Amino acid sequence: MSDDYKPVLRPGSDPLVFFPLPGADQQAEIAKGHIMACAIAHALEDGELVVMGANSLLPMAAARLAQQTHAPNLTIIAGASGGVNTLVEPLVPSSGDYANLVAEAVLQFPEVLMLQMSGHADAFFAGGLQVDRHGNCNLAYVGEAAHPTLRGPGSAGVPWAQQSARTILYTTSHTRRVFVPKVDFVSYPGWNAPTHSAQRGGPHLVVTPLAVMDFSDSGEMRLASLHTGVSLEQVRENTGFDLVLPEGDVPTTPEPSTLELRLLRQMDPDALLTVVV
Amino acid sequence: MEAVTPTPARTSKVTSVEEAVARLVPDTSESLWVGGMHMHNVPMSLVRECIRQGKRFETLYAGPSSSMAADLLIGAGLVERVVCGYIGYEHMGLAPVFRRAVEERIDGVESVGLREVVEADSGSMVLALQAGASGQPFAALPPGLGNTSLPAASPSFYRVVRNPFAGTEALAVEAIRPSVALIHCQQADEFGNGIFKGSPFTDRLLALAGRTVIMQVEQLVDNDQALRYPAQTGVPGFLVAAVVPVTFGCHPTSSHRYYNYDDVHLRLYMQAAETREGFEQYLAEYVLQPEDQEEYMRRVQNQDWGAMRESDT
Repeated sequence: MSDDYKPVLRPGSDPLVFFPLPGADQQAEIAKGHIMACAIAHALEDGELVVMGANSLLPMAAARLAQQTHAPNLTIIAGASGGVNTLVEPLVPSSGDYANLVAEAVLQFPEVLMLQMSGHADAFFAGGLQVDRHGNCNLAYVGEAAHPTLRGPGSAGVPWAQQSARTILYTTSHTRRVFVPKVDFVSYPGWNAPTHSAQRGGPHLVVTPLAVMDFSDSGEMRLASLHTGVSLEQVRENTGFDLVLPEGDVPTTPEPSTLELRLLRQMDPDALLTVVV
Repeated sequence: MEAVTPTPARTSKVTSVEEAVARLVPDTSESLWVGGMHMHNVPMSLVRECIRQGKRFETLYAGPSSSMAADLLIGAGLVERVVCGYIGYEHMGLAPVFRRAVEERIDGVESVGLREVVEADSGSMVLALQAGASGQPFAALPPGLGNTSLPAASPSFYRVVRNPFAGTEALAVEAIRPSVALIHCQQADEFGNGIFKGSPFTDRLLALAGRTVIMQVEQLVDNDQALRYPAQTGVPGFLVAAVVPVTFGCHPTSSHRYYNYDDVHLRLYMQAAETREGFEQYLAEYVLQPEDQEEYMRRVQNQDWGAMRESDT
């Protein structure tokens, strides 16, 4: 082993080499995953610091895309593995994967949490078993504490997303089971939390397979755009509360540009983005 | 001048997995924290051996993000109370046994013996571990957690303190010093100087905070490796009670740079564990019956160990 130790991707360091996901080789024209990644990418700005949590394929694709288009000075921290400005390619589904360590620096996980808890991050990504009209997220359980009907994984690092300047919520499932009037447990606090200020703490964007939502001045979830081919009725049917509607016609979420699609396919030759949603 | 050779030889900490668990893990421990994160760097051989030997843990710290280790220990009925930051399998799904233990409990009592789930979060758990490593009685938390359901749900874990400087209220968590800490380094010398070939995750802190630290390694290396590149030694040997070399010992989780997680086997487990009977069968076949790692590996049918082995550094 030499001093200039450099991690090299080897056979066996990519699960897809040995364990292909079903359908991973199917390249859809434009997949929901592509549209969602682009919507998140457009919400990230040059010079910002973004921190990924678990299961972060979509935000990782988005942040890498932002770096390669409008935000060359964006800094990405790949949550679990601690990789800073990872060049992971092909994209991998696990945030703790060794592949994320093709990077500029490797932080210990407590250091990642410290950055998150101290408010260094400009954007963090969250989601959960349930999301409600104020953007509260639940990762703990559905039902009553004593008799939950669904036990989730636990709140993990998501409570500290509120320390970031902005939180972007995303979910790969837009249903009434996820979008409920009121969450059963608050892992991440939405806009009705007692100490949120208008500037900091609350969620700013919600990206789903059907639509993009933001929040009204009173902190209620508002439809911002519908993805191509999705009707307003479809979103209403799959949302457990009344979304605030924008004035006038509801815009369509921009389709990925030719360049964006090429970049996404380049970093994702296994087409995970086409099967993640 | 003639060089003088020191006469007493330094003691090797290399131990078999059976002996390390038998000798260093009490039959009932106050608490356990297993290192690694998600499906990565989890010292699964040590976990399986704890189950084989029926070691019980009053509290399991499942954080910052745990997966199969927590699921197996809970399912085997060896955990009374779990402090839950995260138990799951990222993109692969929720933890089947943990789910059943909570969802199917009758009158608050679950048949596998899990009596309490303490709702917690990864950040607070790591600050508590840091306090434990530093000898602080507790750790004050950054503001904001009062906006969540956590403090009300877990009044034993989160307490209100007064910030003596600002005169305001803050939340705090008690220091954690796990009785037993199981960690994994890809390499170590016989004295326990552990080298991470990938991410250290939370395991350097865990080695500082744990009362008894057992290190499972993929490969024993010469002491020269540590001496030549000491900055790469993530865990100095004096913190470690035993070094346990096990090839593919983290399977089915990964060992960074040596092999990745085996998601075929993880799915096999997750599907089997959907039912109580399926879980018992898995436990018998892959945990209780195999006498050693070689037998475990023989039983893992789908794995091309040879192909994985070539990825050794």
